[in-house]
Amino acid sequence: MEVITGVILRNMLLAAADNLNRQRDKVNALNVFPVPDGDTGTNMSLTLNAAVKEIEKADPNDIGQLTALLARGSLMGARGNSGVILSQFFRGFSQGLSGVKDMATGEDLARALTMSSETTYRAVMKPVEGTMLTVGRAAALAAEESAAEGAHAQTVLEKALEGAAKALADTPNILPVLKEAGVVDAGGQGLLCIFEGFVSGLTCEPLSFAVISEPQLSQVTDEDGEGIKQIEGVLVNKYCTEFLILADNIDADLVRRKLSSKGDSMLVVGDADVVKVHIHTDHPGKVLEFCGSLGNLTDIKIDNMQLQNEEYSSEREHSEGHGTNVINLAKTAADSVPKSLGVVAVVPGQGLAEIFESLGVDFVVPGGQTMNPSTEDLVKAVNRVNAESVIILPNNKNVIFSAQQVRELVDKTVGVVPTRSVPQGIAALMYLMPDESLDENVSLMEENMKEVKTGEVTYAVRATVAGDLQIEEKDIIGLAEGKIAVVGSSVCDVTKRLIDHMMDEESSVISIYYGADQDFSEAEQLRELTQNDYPDCEVELYEGGQPLYYYIVSVE
Amino acid sequence: MSNIHVVTDSGSDLPLKLREELGIHVVPLTVQFGDDIYRDGVDIQVEEFYERLQSGTILPSTCQPSPADFEALYQQIAEPGDTIISVHLSSRLSGTYQSAVLASTMVDDSINIITIDSKSASMGIGLAAVAAAEAARAGHTVEDCVQAAQYAIDHLNVYFVVDTLEYLKRNGRIGQASALVGTLLNIKPILTLNDGVVAPFEKIRGKSKAIRRIHELARALEDQYPGQSFRAALTHAARPNEAQVFAEILKDELPIAGDIAVSYIGPTIGVHVGPGTLALLLYPAA
Repeated sequence: MEVITGVILRNMLLAAADNLNRQRDKVNALNVFPVPDGDTGTNMSLTLNAAVKEIEKADPNDIGQLTALLARGSLMGARGNSGVILSQFFRGFSQGLSGVKDMATGEDLARALTMSSETTYRAVMKPVEGTMLTVGRAAALAAEESAAEGAHAQTVLEKALEGAAKALADTPNILPVLKEAGVVDAGGQGLLCIFEGFVSGLTCEPLSFAVISEPQLSQVTDEDGEGIKQIEGVLVNKYCTEFLILADNIDADLVRRKLSSKGDSMLVVGDADVVKVHIHTDHPGKVLEFCGSLGNLTDIKIDNMQLQNEEYSSEREHSEGHGTNVINLAKTAADSVPKSLGVVAVVPGQGLAEIFESLGVDFVVPGGQTMNPSTEDLVKAVNRVNAESVIILPNNKNVIFSAQQVRELVDKTVGVVPTRSVPQGIAALMYLMPDESLDENVSLMEENMKEVKTGEVTYAVRATVAGDLQIEEKDIIGLAEGKIAVVGSSVCDVTKRLIDHMMDEESSVISIYYGADQDFSEAEQLRELTQNDYPDCEVELYEGGQPLYYYIVSVE
Repeated sequence: MSNIHVVTDSGSDLPLKLREELGIHVVPLTVQFGDDIYRDGVDIQVEEFYERLQSGTILPSTCQPSPADFEALYQQIAEPGDTIISVHLSSRLSGTYQSAVLASTMVDDSINIITIDSKSASMGIGLAAVAAAEAARAGHTVEDCVQAAQYAIDHLNVYFVVDTLEYLKRNGRIGQASALVGTLLNIKPILTLNDGVVAPFEKIRGKSKAIRRIHELARALEDQYPGQSFRAALTHAARPNEAQVFAEILKDELPIAGDIAVSYIGPTIGVHVGPGTLALLLYPAA
């Protein structure tokens, strides 16, 4: 196959979605932590399904438009860290193919993959190697190499798959946590599934959307080993500005330097005669003015991304959505009093949801440990809060990244307090000052959310070794600040030892939130035992109602 | 030579020793349990009050002294030519100040009555009254005595923690702290008085943590007023041991001028804050 037509590209994407759906559980099983909620595969497949759904009606003779829809769909459907990175991958991919009409060459594809990789690297502040970032880059390099030799589109994709597979196999040699756990990187595996799908989907006969096997929603979330340490602030620049500069001897570096201060998501690519500029900026005029001084501008396109996304969200509200994550509306925006500052929190369990609402949260998005909400779920929740500024409390390390994506998708000012657990979310809410500014609140909350220590008690989904601890499948494990600290066979015993592990001289309040599968009398017994052990502390018991986790404990 | 008298009300929680030492007069508010009416500190003492507050089913309420009560006292203590400085409960928490102002217009002009709204409660009033009385005793002018009380009021820092917000809520004194009511978690808010009204300062989980935080806030005052010593009072709703421990620690944390006055929160304030309340009141000495 020399070139890829729009139909073939669509087939590739359908096959990729299908393959990822099929292999979802295999990807899920690769999480470094043996906890029952680590689901990179589910997050990536749901993200890709949301993206592919958008291209159903796309014109196969306009590849640029098709991939743009794909990118948008993945951005809105992004779940979990791996989903967000995947959405960035498609964003780069679509940027690489923008302007391409009815067929893409091997060279186009290589460029698209390179841009995919670059975009994913840019999305994380401290890129970690040995993750899906590395796998994506290896695929892009292999594709570029092959395209440079003049290879056909099919060969370029096959080489990309080869490169990705090799890089994936190598991830345990780069990231020690993977080696210890005896797994390859889950996000990387998910990406490989997509490349496998690309290659298997290289057929000219249009595939039906029905080829995608139904994703079955099992328990989800909390990925690990995604390699994200800190996440870069997301763009505030709302005008997506794109154009070509035509001239002799354009200095692309100069363009990059001049434009870098004008916005973000900047891409300046091309050769000496044609340079393509893509930038998200609040000053498209200044960008055009400068570039116009270098040569002739053509193919100018300026989109207001915020408005686009709003239109998009409101359209989606009328359709059935993906129906997996219903936002729990405590009250509707219509009958609530408008205020300057609102709060959206992602919380697992009805009991915890009520606690969060009683602490001033306007909307609770259910999820976290059972299911990472998609970026779209969070966008909807933020839009429904009757406030100009909204704080999001993700309460799960795997939701932080999606929450940060919301900022560029809504018309409101959004602040994300990167709470990694339910207790951190509660600690942050202690500092909610509705009359103060968003920034003031975010910084106070961020500063104080770490006052608490978080403990979680669940069971191991597979045998593993964590430090000195030998863990068998179905063992009860206690995690302190996200790290396995205690192993045993009794929930009560593990929880008590976990609390012992978390206590220090300063500790004065122990809060125990019991899960959906615990009954009150057992939980009360645990509270009494704990109170006996720590007579000087206040030991409090609340119904959390969270799934999978017998207990969530906070010590402060 | 004309005399300066200092008057306050039972909302000041002034310990008897200080009252006697400085000759400060206290007008009692009344506390009502149903049909039983008591004058604070006259007909009912703190121990008995808290016992009744916690055991009984009747919600007590307080009533400001009448202008006539003030008038009678003013007439009784002052000779023509004397000055009375009358410092009272925040006018936004009680009508006591209003009664005093009315009374001052009922007394003959030969007695100079200066009424001051402390915008505070408990020893927040007490410290201002003490400042005025000390200045008077040192022979300062009326203006200087008033100035001393006003300085204490303007520089006062109040932090208090209640065991439950129930009492503030049901007596309608919760002010801006109402947002804290109805939280499902056991929160021990640190409260303060903001322009004479109860306001939340910070939400804290657990009382000992809240007390630690108040210590921190006290220490932070030293940075705000470097090199200065502080006048401090600690009042408590029937928690003498906790208050004593608090005071001992505070002495090591901050340069304190004189003693830390430790006293019971009397019935007047106790009705509104409930048992278990602990309050720190302090200001940098001039």
